[in-house]
Amino acid sequence: MTGTKDKLFYALLAATAATFAYLIGYIFLVTPLAQLEAGGLAQKIFYFHVPAAYAMYLCGGVCCIASAMYLYFPTDARDAAARAGADCAVVFGAMVLASGPLWAKKAWGVYWTWDPRLTTTLLSVLVFVSVVMLRAFAGNGEAERKFASALGVLGTVTLPIIHYAVVMWGGNHPTVITKTGGGLRDPAMTHALLVGFVAMTLLAGLLLWCRTRLSLSLSHVARLEEQAIATGQIEY
Amino acid sequence: MTQAQPESASTTLADPNSRSTEFVAVQGGGETTSAASLLIAAYLLMWGLLFAFVFLSWRRQARVETRIAELEKAIAAGGGDGNARQ
Repeated sequence: MTGTKDKLFYALLAATAATFAYLIGYIFLVTPLAQLEAGGLAQKIFYFHVPAAYAMYLCGGVCCIASAMYLYFPTDARDAAARAGADCAVVFGAMVLASGPLWAKKAWGVYWTWDPRLTTTLLSVLVFVSVVMLRAFAGNGEAERKFASALGVLGTVTLPIIHYAVVMWGGNHPTVITKTGGGLRDPAMTHALLVGFVAMTLLAGLLLWCRTRLSLSLSHVARLEEQAIATGQIEY
Repeated sequence: MTQAQPESASTTLADPNSRSTEFVAVQGGGETTSAASLLIAAYLLMWGLLFAFVFLSWRRQARVETRIAELEKAIAAGGGDGNARQ
C-alpha cells in the first residue's frame, strides 16, 4: 500500500513540475504583453497571482470541511487534514499578498490600497495564520484542536466575502475574469490562466498531502510519547 | 491589446460599476519602477516562499520520523508495542 502511495506521490510531483515548466514557458514565450501603459511585463504576474488566490480558496475549503468533520466526529486524520489546509492556505495567501502589491506598484502606482478585495484577502489570511499559530503553540489537546477547527470554519466563511467583495463594492482591484471575457481578450491569455489553475491545483494537492502526512506523524509522536512516559521508557 | 481607459488609483468609489473589467494602469504614467524588476521580484518571492515551505516541511518530517523510530525502539526495548495505541 505504501509503495502504491509513493508511486502516486511521485507521479503527482512529476505532473506538477511538468505543468509548471510548461506554464512558465508559455507565459513568457506565447502570451502577449498586456497593460502596456504599465510596462506590459508586470501583467505577467497575473498568471500566478490569480491561480494562487484560487489555491488559497481550495486549501481553505479543505480546512473548513475537515474542521467541520472533526467537530462532528474527531479523528486524527480529520485534524491533520484541517491543519494541513490552514498551513497551505497561509502559504498560498502569502504568495497572493507578495505578488499583488508588486503588480499594483506598477499598475496603480501604490503597493497597497485599502480596497475591499485586498482588505478581505488580508483578513482571511490572518485568520488562517491564527489557526496555524494556535496549533503550533497552544498544544495538541482536544480543546485546542476543537477551537482551531472552529476557527478554521470561521476563516473559510470569509472566503466568499472576498470573492463577492469585487462584485458588491467598488475599488481599484479589477474583475478581469468575466463571462464576456473581460481583460482576457487573447485566447493565449485564457489558456495560460487555465494552465495556471491546473498547476496550482496539482501543487495544492501535493502540499496538502505532505502536510497531512506531517500532521499525522506529529499525532503519532504525541501518542508514542504518552505511551513511553506511561511505561517509564522516557522521562516527562 | 487590452488597452483601456486608464483609471486613477485614488478613485476608490462605492459604486461596483467603477471597477475595471480590463487591465488598466495608473493615470499619467508617473510610476517609474521597472516592470521587469517588479516581475522578477514577484516571481522570486512566490517561488522563495514555496521552496522555504517545502524545505521546512521536509526537514520537520525527517525529524519527526527519527523521533518515531527512537520512541518505537525505546518502547520495544521496554516490552511495549509502539503501534498499540494508534
